[in-house]
Amino acid sequence: MITQVEEPILEIHDLTVSYDQNPVLWNVDLSLPKGKLVGILGPNGAGKSTLIKAIMGLIPPTSGYIRIFDKPLNEVRTRISYVPQRESVDWNFPASVLDVVMMGTYGKLGLFRRPGKKEKELALHSLEQVGMSGFVKRQISELSGGQQQRVFIARALAQQADLYLMDEPFAGVDMATETAIFQLLKEMADTGKTVIVVHHDIHSAMNFFDWAIMLNLHLVASGPKDLVMTEELLRKTYGGKLNLLTKVTDLIKRKEFNPLKS
Amino acid sequence: MEDFVYFFTFQDPSILWVVLGITLLGIGSAYVGTFSFLDKKALLGDAISHAVLPGICLGFILAGEKNPVYIVTGAFVSGGIATFLSTWLKRNTKLSEDAIIATILSVFFGIGIVMLTALQKSGNPEIAGLNTFIFGNAIGISEKDLMLYGGLALFIILVLTFFLKEFRLMVFDREFGDSIGFPMKSISFSFNVLMILAVVIGIQAIGVVLMAALLITPGSAARFWTDRLGTLLILAALFSVISGVMGTYISFVLPQMPTGPWVVVFLSLIALISFLFSPKSGMLFRFFARKKYLRKTHREHLLKALYKALEEGRKSLPIEEIYELYPYHKPQTQSGIKDLKQNNYINQNQEFIELSQSGISEAMRIVRLHRLWELYLNESMNIAPDHVHDSAEQLEHLLTPELEALLEKRLNYPALDPHQETIPRDRP
Repeated sequence: MITQVEEPILEIHDLTVSYDQNPVLWNVDLSLPKGKLVGILGPNGAGKSTLIKAIMGLIPPTSGYIRIFDKPLNEVRTRISYVPQRESVDWNFPASVLDVVMMGTYGKLGLFRRPGKKEKELALHSLEQVGMSGFVKRQISELSGGQQQRVFIARALAQQADLYLMDEPFAGVDMATETAIFQLLKEMADTGKTVIVVHHDIHSAMNFFDWAIMLNLHLVASGPKDLVMTEELLRKTYGGKLNLLTKVTDLIKRKEFNPLKS
Repeated sequence: MEDFVYFFTFQDPSILWVVLGITLLGIGSAYVGTFSFLDKKALLGDAISHAVLPGICLGFILAGEKNPVYIVTGAFVSGGIATFLSTWLKRNTKLSEDAIIATILSVFFGIGIVMLTALQKSGNPEIAGLNTFIFGNAIGISEKDLMLYGGLALFIILVLTFFLKEFRLMVFDREFGDSIGFPMKSISFSFNVLMILAVVIGIQAIGVVLMAALLITPGSAARFWTDRLGTLLILAALFSVISGVMGTYISFVLPQMPTGPWVVVFLSLIALISFLFSPKSGMLFRFFARKKYLRKTHREHLLKALYKALEEGRKSLPIEEIYELYPYHKPQTQSGIKDLKQNNYINQNQEFIELSQSGISEAMRIVRLHRLWELYLNESMNIAPDHVHDSAEQLEHLLTPELEALLEKRLNYPALDPHQETIPRDRP
């Protein structure tokens, strides 16, 4: 059940991704419309993070291609914002909340130029949007998990992008914060931004997303929430890995080289 | 003392030069070192510093004398090969990083020592100067050499200052840097070049064996004092410069003393002081903070004991009975009673202790927190009533007024705890 759209904001064409020699995503082919809040759902190890890393060009695809705003990634990077998993950085790094959020302005500044007054105002405004104005000067190691997550989202807001890719932004976040952030993302989608979120909780996914991408090493479904979040497709997504696919993966792993690489 | 005044008044221009050189070197290496320490690559600096030795010897062989340009180039190339090899091995083999670093360090240093020994047997009279590269000798550096080392140090400082934003991104969140299209590979590469340069500029003053200490120790020591990157860099540079100048001074007073080991002695001293005395993360601070906390908990336990007696209808307790409650902690109990008296929480009437009005209110607060927490564990976390006491015993000293208000609201201002005891509140 894959819904393709006209004039997609993001087009993924037959994408296969492997780590070393371990294929983790098979032939993903989908397109997304503008202004939607999109959830990427699937069990652990389904390739959810891999998919957005591949979109961001952080992992080279083994085959296939991706076009964003009908252009190759490198031409539109300043219009895309990526929020990595919270655990991917060392929160003991000596930096204040403002320092981290200011990083969101680096992309548009480019190399050499230093952030100035305008960038600082933008960062402060972004912090206000996520309700963290009271923490501007706080050392990042002193924040709770949910606060760290909000700092990351503020950094993304400071990027002023049109497409947002967020990797598990609700991991370790309490219910109240989750709802507040979802509300914020929804408002962003309403103003024409596209927000793609890797998410693991099906229950809240039902409530908040407009569109769902369901993965389990391969693309199970992609389409409007009401069409794809059916019992049958959910069972397909969460009902364990395909036996044959696992066997093929093992076969590829045993080769001395990566046979999928073109 | 005369030496001290002579040295630090810089009457001798050559001393001024050396101190200036050491200062630049200290700032440069501390600067680079702090970043590599934050990037958890401290060991790489050690490997590089040992790995430059074959290059130094090769530079000497090619020049036939102690020509600084040849030696610096040789050292840089050999350090570069070591760095490249370690990254390459990491990417293309399954070896772990520590195994790779240890191997590279020992292999390169071994080759270097073999070359050095062979050179010593060759009978070249210039060779004597080459030994100083092992442990360093800051005093013996000529002005011409200083220009080269100082210039390189200045270059490192400028590049790092200019690209602070990029290097900060590299250490904190490299993937994000990639995502916004920054050339993170080139930035990493430039950083490695700076790291090798930082080692190279120290080889003559500090020596290859101990140069890693000048890279890593200042940043690690400074980390105890601050949570800000800017302050961290300045402090690290300061520590490094102080140790560098002191080490040089020792080499000046006792000419047979190598500089490197003395620099490390001073650095270690600074690191030890930081470890013990820095506020918040220092050992001493933590020791006293804990002690203070234990004192507070004991005080609060005394209040609780008096309050429980009050609940049973006994307005005061004999002091001996209180001591018996904590049989092995009589001194603590005595100081606790003294503290409570000072705060006017209790009154002593001969051998009897009784809670004052403010004491009752304070005791109620602790008992209330204890019982509220017990109830919370029981109601919200489904823990049986006979399993909630120990946790409450700890949390009663920790819960803040905000959390207390939250608990009250959450539990809807309950009257009884899971053991059917009254949760005490001040009558408004």
